[in-house]
Amino acid sequence: MTSNKLTIGIADMKMAQREGELITYALGSCVGVCLYDPVIKLGALVHVMLPINMETGRTSPLKYADTGIRETLRRMELQGAKRSRIVAKMAGGARMFDTPGCGSLGNIGQRNIESAHMTLKRENIRLVKEDVGGTVARTMLFDVATGVGRIRSYNRPEQIL
Amino acid sequence: MKNYNELNSMELDTLREIGSMGTGNAATALSGMIGRRVRIEMPEVRIMGYNEAIDWIGGPEIITAGVLARMEGEINGIILCIEQAAFVEQVLTCVLGRSFQSFDDLEEMDISALREVGNIMISAYTNAMSGLTNMKIRPSVPAFAVDMQGAIMAVPMAEFGGQSDCIMAIGTNFIFDDDRTVPCRLLMSPDVRSLNFLLRKLGVLDD
Repeated sequence: MTSNKLTIGIADMKMAQREGELITYALGSCVGVCLYDPVIKLGALVHVMLPINMETGRTSPLKYADTGIRETLRRMELQGAKRSRIVAKMAGGARMFDTPGCGSLGNIGQRNIESAHMTLKRENIRLVKEDVGGTVARTMLFDVATGVGRIRSYNRPEQIL
Repeated sequence: MKNYNELNSMELDTLREIGSMGTGNAATALSGMIGRRVRIEMPEVRIMGYNEAIDWIGGPEIITAGVLARMEGEINGIILCIEQAAFVEQVLTCVLGRSFQSFDDLEEMDISALREVGNIMISAYTNAMSGLTNMKIRPSVPAFAVDMQGAIMAVPMAEFGGQSDCIMAIGTNFIFDDDRTVPCRLLMSPDVRSLNFLLRKLGVLDD
């Protein structure tokens, strides 16, 4: 088992190499994207909240799926990761409140998923596995030594990612 | 246009005043609904970053119930009433005479009671806001969910996440007549434009 755990908050990203576990708690409509270079065992987990960065100053790139994924890739490459080897796993994008009368609230999760998909495609990153959508919150764990992810939810058995 | 993290102490005090009045209204309404005396502790009104707010409420993975409504009218935004286990237990005991073990066992009847109590709480705050400002604010039909509180809290955060990195949280304790103390937590998020409108209307906006 790995000993060191790194917790990733909202609009946050952390990396670990060779060993360690990356955790992000309670992804609702937010999306967690794990990017992993299996050759050098470098893993990163980014927790994004919104689909597309339209901020003028761009002060918090990690809050958005598009700039969050790109910024993570950039920082991984600085650590020696090769773009052609990086694979992705993602989770989240749920609809937490399922009732009419709440307008666009329910769609943020879906828009986050679509934006993450599109960004990964544009950056030529292969998405190997995902657990997205639905109405359930997810805690995402990623073991950097093995590249295996796990998803913990309320009232649902643990999923391997 | 001022953002949440740019408010001065007078502007913050004004928001605290709305929070205090809302909490007072909420205690009165709750007391009427359950037919028992309910007192409140001095409410705390805080402007926090997302992760700080989730820690403040007790951590992301704890299972909780949330009642969410939109504010519409002259002020737009979202209010989320977080109904944690201790609060749910007290409400179900007082309103329905039912015991509460776990969120897994909630039945339709329990959910509609919790939704209604959440609706009453939310209306107490929107009434305080419209009473002070003389503006029309309508809360929408409330939505209800049970899940990890981090994910539930992220809903109002995401709604205005493009405008602000902070959220306004109100916390107090309700003290029931049997001396049980139950925490009450709300996230109140007028959008940034409405926040400025509100503060200007109350004559405290320094811009």
